[in-house]
Amino acid sequence: MTGTQSSRARDQEGSATGYEHLIPLFDELAALPEDDPRRGEVRNKLVTGHLPLAEHIATRFSNRGVPREDLVQVATLGLINAVDRFQPDRGTDFLSFAVPTVMGEVRRHFRDASWAMHVPRRLKELNLAINAASAELSQRLGRAPTPSELGKHLDLTPEQVFEGLEAGNAYHSMSLDEALSPEADSDPLGDTLGQPDQGLEGVENYESLRPLIEALPERERQILTLRFFRHMTQTQIADRIGISQMHVSRLLSRTLENLRKGMLSDPEN
Amino acid sequence: MFEGTEDGSPEEIELRIAAVLTNLPIIRSLAASIAMRADFDLDSIADLRLAVDEACSTLITQGAPGSMLRCTFRVSAEEIRFVVSVPSTSDTKPSSDSFGWRVLTTLTDHTATWVDGTGDGVVDAPHLVHIELAKRRMEGLPG
Repeated sequence: MTGTQSSRARDQEGSATGYEHLIPLFDELAALPEDDPRRGEVRNKLVTGHLPLAEHIATRFSNRGVPREDLVQVATLGLINAVDRFQPDRGTDFLSFAVPTVMGEVRRHFRDASWAMHVPRRLKELNLAINAASAELSQRLGRAPTPSELGKHLDLTPEQVFEGLEAGNAYHSMSLDEALSPEADSDPLGDTLGQPDQGLEGVENYESLRPLIEALPERERQILTLRFFRHMTQTQIADRIGISQMHVSRLLSRTLENLRKGMLSDPEN
Repeated sequence: MFEGTEDGSPEEIELRIAAVLTNLPIIRSLAASIAMRADFDLDSIADLRLAVDEACSTLITQGAPGSMLRCTFRVSAEEIRFVVSVPSTSDTKPSSDSFGWRVLTTLTDHTATWVDGTGDGVVDAPHLVHIELAKRRMEGLPG
């Protein structure tokens, strides 16, 4: 990581993006045969040259409970992937390709690995195992499993299952989904979902509630609608949206809390 | 796994805690822990947790300043029944037209609210407001 500060300074003195001088390297890399030893060198130049981009994205997501160094590392992995997968002959420039790739990597990291407090690795793994087993058993049973079913499936004692389930509550629920979702990984489900308006008619304080619901991040609004206006279970919602039931539970819990706070601070009430 | 008391009668768990919003995490953790140990399925555990959170926050905002919340969980073979009560200066029941009520009725199998007059001896808060919820064990589960 040494030298990145100076390379960043140098880049910024350059032109608009600061990465123009690297563009010819992509053609050079593409022109080199797969087994050419010079490939490694050119690839290295491209990765180190673009490092400030990874750092920039990592910084954008710091202060959210995950150490900045971890984020830089994850973003750098994303950058390496982007360099490897970029095809200069496709007509798009590298930055428009790399930025979503790197962001996706950082977002996935938040989704998979961010815990609000220090949880021993054993418990994290236990929680992940329970999550996976829960998804599998839900499929098989057509409903959410009970702790005893999870214990039987994973060959764990009831206390171990309880521990693993409780560890899930320490998971950092402030994932980046909401910070990013409308732009980067907007869910086609959103288009097919009506607004909860119809279901809300007749609810008192409808006028103050509606803007609060509309202001919710896309995913939270979907989950709220599916649970309280479509009467889907959390497991069904998890299945439909592609996240775990525990994640649905956390998002729903926080959404309701925010709505309550919003209603309380409304002078009309 | 959680058979209640020795003789099979329902287990009762009571919690008295200051009626302030910062205590909500304690109450909802207890709710989740009870449902988990009663071997409710994960959806029902999560639902009960949310519902208890909602009911308590409703009563906390309605409670008289400095009052205590009384939470009772009654666990039987069929269901978990939760009653929360708070002394209040007002005898108004929580509205059943609110979004919060919608949340409660969606998440649980039974919801009720009433007000009676024994405000726990608190002079300034002669009324006691209650919310009752019940979450049934899912049918077809080994019980």
